Amino acid sequence: MFKPFANLIRYRELIGVLAWKSIAMRYKQAYLGIAWAVLKPVMLMLILTLIRSFIGINSGDIPYPVLTFAALMPWTLFQESVSDGVNSVVGNAHLIRKIYFPREIFPVTAVITKTVEFLINVLILAALMAWYAIAPSWQVLWVPLLLLYVLLASLSIALVGAAVNVYFRDVAAALPVLLSVVMYLSPVIYPIHLVQEKLLHHGEEGSILYTLYLMNPLAGIIDAFQRVILRGLPPDPATLIPGFILVILLLPFSYQIFKRAEAYFADVI
Amino acid sequence: MAIIEVNHVTKEYRLGQIQSLKTVLQNAGRRLLGQPTETRAPLKALDNINFSIEAGEVVGIIGHNGAGKSTLLKLISGITQATRGSIRVAGSIAPLIEVGAGFIPDFTGRENIYLNGAILGIPKRMLDGKFDEIVTFAELEKFIDTPLKRYSSGMQVRLGFALATSMDADILIVDEVLAVGDLAFQRKCFDRIENIIRHSGKTILIVSHNIRQIERLCDRVLLLDQGRALQDGPSTDVCDSYYALMNKKIREDAQRTLSSSRRENSSGEVVQVEADVLDSQGSAVSQIQSGASLKIRVVFTVQSAVEKPEFHIGTHTTDFFYLTGSSSALVGAPAVLPPGRHTVEQIVAGYPVVPGTYAVRFAMLDKFRRVIYHGETLALFTVTQRLRESHQDELRIVDLPVAWFIDGQPLIESGRNTHGSSQALGS
Repeated sequence: MFKPFANLIRYRELIGVLAWKSIAMRYKQAYLGIAWAVLKPVMLMLILTLIRSFIGINSGDIPYPVLTFAALMPWTLFQESVSDGVNSVVGNAHLIRKIYFPREIFPVTAVITKTVEFLINVLILAALMAWYAIAPSWQVLWVPLLLLYVLLASLSIALVGAAVNVYFRDVAAALPVLLSVVMYLSPVIYPIHLVQEKLLHHGEEGSILYTLYLMNPLAGIIDAFQRVILRGLPPDPATLIPGFILVILLLPFSYQIFKRAEAYFADVI
Repeated sequence: MAIIEVNHVTKEYRLGQIQSLKTVLQNAGRRLLGQPTETRAPLKALDNINFSIEAGEVVGIIGHNGAGKSTLLKLISGITQATRGSIRVAGSIAPLIEVGAGFIPDFTGRENIYLNGAILGIPKRMLDGKFDEIVTFAELEKFIDTPLKRYSSGMQVRLGFALATSMDADILIVDEVLAVGDLAFQRKCFDRIENIIRHSGKTILIVSHNIRQIERLCDRVLLLDQGRALQDGPSTDVCDSYYALMNKKIREDAQRTLSSSRRENSSGEVVQVEADVLDSQGSAVSQIQSGASLKIRVVFTVQSAVEKPEFHIGTHTTDFFYLTGSSSALVGAPAVLPPGRHTVEQIVAGYPVVPGTYAVRFAMLDKFRRVIYHGETLALFTVTQRLRESHQDELRIVDLPVAWFIDGQPLIESGRNTHGSSQALGS
């Protein structure tokens, strides 16, 4: 497990420059520049708030827009890291055919690029919290750790997805569909306590279903984000652990597949 | 200890498109059921290549298109992996495989230098130090903060070359980048590469189709043909073999196309035309040396008597550029050519064209100068080199013996070029 980290440290300059490149490239000729990065979660938040006014989702004591935005931040980070990460290898075919450096740099760079946009969204969240007069507590210090966890979860999908996508472009085509399924399976639109209430009062069967629900790492992550930022509570290990176990098992496996496929990227791509 | 070791390396590629997910699933299904699956024969891009390079050697790799040169470089630089065998590289590699591979049109020259520097593995610290030199070499001082898409293609190539050659690695891989930009910049590029080769003491691998450059720059050359290493040795010997191989290839290709490119136009009075190239003993040959005499014999059958016939015999290239041609009318004609088989011969005292493959053309006219027969590509022959072809000027088609004078003094060929020189100057 040490070699992957050694590679990342050795190539940190390249990762930095490539991340700067993809950020700069995206916003180079856009008048609003990097502001576009925040548009997506903000728009989604507004739409969801509008929908909620018709169907009524109980968000407890936290105003729904803030609650949703706190969910949309890690969700957008995950969703965009995965989809950019999966496409990153194929998208850099011209470099892969010409020059060698460890190929995991592409998905890693994609994930890091999205982290920068995430950090911009933090400002929006801060503004929203100020508007609704929600003061953060010391529990927000959990955010960096949670952020790291989102990145690892994204990478565990992005690495294997990027490798398989070189051979079968079906992956990139199927991904948006799969990701929107995952979005509805995550407590983005609705708060997690609604799921908890529904399932945990249905005995044995319900609690198995709830554990399955928590196998989706995003369920625990989103809940933890909302807890540490908005409620001033520490993360709830019970919701985090099932997903975390999955990520810890999946990530090395995903990395291995990527490294094994990597040797033939230049031939196939 | 060798800096690059290539041990029995074979690289196979699967031909054709990537298999679709559907085919893969079908094949997996068939495999489970024990049925045969559809497979494609792999193409051997490299076949059991074996060599090692010592630190500081300058090695050229030559061969035809598809001989495996680029594949070999890709394997050495780690872009792809060998199917069998192993490659050991003890040192850092600077691949100049294609200058400016990662340029982004929307970025300025400055941004592209830092981006591509990072891609090539030049540390930022070093890039800061070399920045001005790179910009000066590329002659882009005024445009360095202009987006690359506003650059001319020559400017982009200059920037790429300047950047790539400023890398500091143990092994430099140069793939056809010696000639970029206009003539003045090509000169600069060549000097820069030559300077690196002569003074840096680095190990350098060069792939080029410019054999003369390879011969001049390298101590050692590896000749690849269809994935196999045909020869590995001193550059002059290997470059000569390359020319021999090239002649053979051209001849084989020409023979294959002979039947298809033979063009005949006959009134019906002249049939069964056969043409041959003969040596001094009168037997048919397929090749002559450049500058040697060329004897062409045409045999044909005349159906009815032809009065005052006129013959034309000439030569042309395989793509129908007419080189020589001569009419018998200049020297006279037989009064009448009776029906039957006849032979016409023409001797060109010294056939002075560059090595290559050429074809014979024959025409026959009657007393009214009406063309009764015209045929092209009736026979093919190859002209082989006389002097060392690699030292010759490439921009020529006629190869005449010349004499040189410098400040009024005749320049006598000396050293390794003596072979063939008496013919060139004496005759």
